[in-house]
Amino acid sequence: MSIKKEDQLLDHEYDGIKEYDNLLPSWWLATFYGAIVFSFLYMGYYHFAGGPSLSDELQQDLAEIYTKRKSLEVKDNGPTEEALAAILADKSRVDQGKVIYVGKCASCHGNLGEGLIGPNLTDNYWLHGDASLMSILLVVADGVAEKGMPPWKGMMKKDEVQSVVVYVKSLKGTNPSNPKAPQGEEVKN
Amino acid sequence: MNSTVNKYDFYDDEIVKKFVIATVCWGLIAFLVGLVVALQLADWRFNFGLPWITFGRLRPLHTNAAIFAFAGNAIFAGIYHSSQRLLKARLSSDLLSNLHFWGWQLIIVSAALTLPFGYTTSKEYAELEWPIDIAITIVWVIFAVNFFLTIKNRKEQHIYVAIWFYIATIITVAVLHIVNSIAIPVTFLKSYPVYAGVQDALVQWWYGHNAVAFVLTTPFLGLMYYYIPKAVNRPVYSYRLSIIHFWSLVFIYIWAGPHHLLHTSLPNWAQSLGMVFSLMLWAPSWGGMINGLLTLRGAWDKIRTDPVVKFLIAAVTFYGMATFEGPLLSIKSVNSLAHYTDWIIGHVHAGALGWNGFLTFGMLYYLVPKLWKTNLYSVKLATTHFWIGLLGIILYIMAMWASGITQGLMWQAMDDSGNLLYPDFVETVIRLVPLYYVRFVGGLLFLLGFLIQIFNLTATVLQANKEKVKDPVAKGSRIPFKDVISESSHRSLEGLPAVFSTLVVIAVLVASAFSLIPALFTPTKMSAKSIIRPYSPLELVGRDVYIREGCYLCHSQQIRTMSSEVLRYGPASTMEESIFDHPFQWGSKRTGPDLARIGKKYPDLWHYRHMMDPREVTPKSLMPAYAWLAKDKISFDLIPKKLRIMQQLGVPYSEYEIDNSIETAQMQAATIAKELHEHGAPSGLEKTEMVALIAYLQSLGQMSIKPLEVK
Repeated sequence: MSIKKEDQLLDHEYDGIKEYDNLLPSWWLATFYGAIVFSFLYMGYYHFAGGPSLSDELQQDLAEIYTKRKSLEVKDNGPTEEALAAILADKSRVDQGKVIYVGKCASCHGNLGEGLIGPNLTDNYWLHGDASLMSILLVVADGVAEKGMPPWKGMMKKDEVQSVVVYVKSLKGTNPSNPKAPQGEEVKN
Repeated sequence: MNSTVNKYDFYDDEIVKKFVIATVCWGLIAFLVGLVVALQLADWRFNFGLPWITFGRLRPLHTNAAIFAFAGNAIFAGIYHSSQRLLKARLSSDLLSNLHFWGWQLIIVSAALTLPFGYTTSKEYAELEWPIDIAITIVWVIFAVNFFLTIKNRKEQHIYVAIWFYIATIITVAVLHIVNSIAIPVTFLKSYPVYAGVQDALVQWWYGHNAVAFVLTTPFLGLMYYYIPKAVNRPVYSYRLSIIHFWSLVFIYIWAGPHHLLHTSLPNWAQSLGMVFSLMLWAPSWGGMINGLLTLRGAWDKIRTDPVVKFLIAAVTFYGMATFEGPLLSIKSVNSLAHYTDWIIGHVHAGALGWNGFLTFGMLYYLVPKLWKTNLYSVKLATTHFWIGLLGIILYIMAMWASGITQGLMWQAMDDSGNLLYPDFVETVIRLVPLYYVRFVGGLLFLLGFLIQIFNLTATVLQANKEKVKDPVAKGSRIPFKDVISESSHRSLEGLPAVFSTLVVIAVLVASAFSLIPALFTPTKMSAKSIIRPYSPLELVGRDVYIREGCYLCHSQQIRTMSSEVLRYGPASTMEESIFDHPFQWGSKRTGPDLARIGKKYPDLWHYRHMMDPREVTPKSLMPAYAWLAKDKISFDLIPKKLRIMQQLGVPYSEYEIDNSIETAQMQAATIAKELHEHGAPSGLEKTEMVALIAYLQSLGQMSIKPLEVK
């Protein structure tokens, strides 16, 4: 740092504005040069020396997630008709199912399950499956793409899906006013 | 002129006064509209069900008013005032000055008369339709001619650093505006841009980023270089720093546009270039801040006493903050959290309110007493304005940081079983509503401060002496050419503005050419047509409705290469998928979810009910209702022309398809309307824009001819 250089006025002025000719601050120069050096290193690593691309990184992330999901699947063989029936007997789970139903399902199936965009859930007629708890679970979890029923397994936790399923089952025979006309096959049981 | 007094012996301050008044008037409107849109985000009911004040129509009005009306007029006022004094010459032509002034105001009025009615190109900060774009070009050329002729008439051989920045502004804005606005007109107020998909994205953000650079940064740096040394009466800190940061800023800024497109389908290496150039931009930006702040050495006490200095120094500090945050946000990993969230909104407002707003306010407090030959009515009120405004900005930025980071984290949050923790998008939105009210309060304070300023400035003008005193042009002289070229290299350049300007042109064009080169490495429409089908005629009409309503302002159509995105929305977007999109609709903000793969996810009736009242299907949705779409009729007769223009742009429509496009559209509309009616919607929707929009939404992500390669 040269002291005599500090605050040397230049001989020009514009509308009374004068200028010093101070040296560039060294920390400022360091950040500038640093950024330039970093840029070369970054481009060199990622685009010339075989560094991973964004889609490589994405594939790796996804692979990890899918592996994790698989490992959990092995431990959990999924519910059975009997296990779901036990949940149906648990009032707190049915109530939890109702809360979720009102938030996520009622917009298409009606507040009382009377049917709207989607079919009536209170009658004896079923478009998909045999009205068993497991068949309802399958529709809720995987959806019915061609009918516009979204798969909910990614949008809800497993126990939430199960609660909704038992709540839907509990709607059968509730006879809401203004029901949607029956669709699908009649299931007698 | 009969008078013996030559008007060229005096500066033209009348035009400066006009631009000052326009700045204040449009500023008020820009801030008011900003408050309304802030309120609409907090509560959808503030859309009042009126099409022309719905968020999607008003937001472009807010941004255009803030950037081009408020900041634009401020720049013109400051440039015309300071340049005359720095060049020791009256503006070259009163006629050109007035054409510039009235032309610009007319453009703003036409923006205010078109944007709320849905006439928009959907290209951010370039939303105005083609006739207005032409008017902007003409007025800008008038401004340029007036400015460069004034330089020619100067009585000061060398041009000061402020003038360098003005030159860079005038040249670059012209290049940006013309290249980004090239479009083929469909009707008097509707056009399709010549670029599509990833190319359009690249051109648009080369423009968008550099509009920030050359409308909101370089001219304001020029103003800073004049008004700060004038206000504190101290020499500029470092001449050589101004040389280095000027040239590095002009050259490097241009490249950084792709940082708006990180993790998108833009080629990886182009994204990396955008990122590293943004990092290299940090130091050149801070060079300006250093020169502004350190000019105050030996006069720091003026911050306490002089409101002008308070505003100017706070502005430069916000500039430093925003230009540190910018490179930070362009680092890919930071960007993956911040992009599409309110953090970006906070970032731009740190710049807009703090840097542009406060610098303009400081300049107005300096200029108005000078122009009207009096003292400021009340220093105390100006100080009050400063503190209220500062509090407003801080509330605004903090709310948006909190909101953006909250939402970004919620989007990415995963549970132990490898599932999204918040799979329902609306959960991540309702969490932000309280912060939207904080933002509103911040904006309200900022506006309140400005109202105090308007009162203060009006009182200042009213107390002024009515007789007009003109400032005489300062004495000066030019030096011979041989003396100029014998000077040190940059000093010599400053004596030769024509050469200087040419070098700026070269720097800008070279950097632009390089930064647009990635567009050549994208798939062609010819190669894509075996993978992706073009929109059906009805879908194309629906797309125009989507553009008109400004849906892209809250919904993106670009699934990023991030696992949380793929889990939420499906496979990452490809370049081919938007290749027929004139203009692209990738968006820049997600107040609602991404729509790139929304097609066939819900039944048509779901969309119908969602448009009529979003809360019927998504109980806590923030989206305004679009019930008028069920009434507004489709202009079927325009369809063949739209397809024809798309065909000219390379979209593979056959002659047969164009000839039968009206019937095709009517048939598709009838099918959708019939099914809607069967499920309980009213009959007669087949002629309405509702079915067109539904057709478009159902096509998104469903255009692949071959099934997508899911890796």
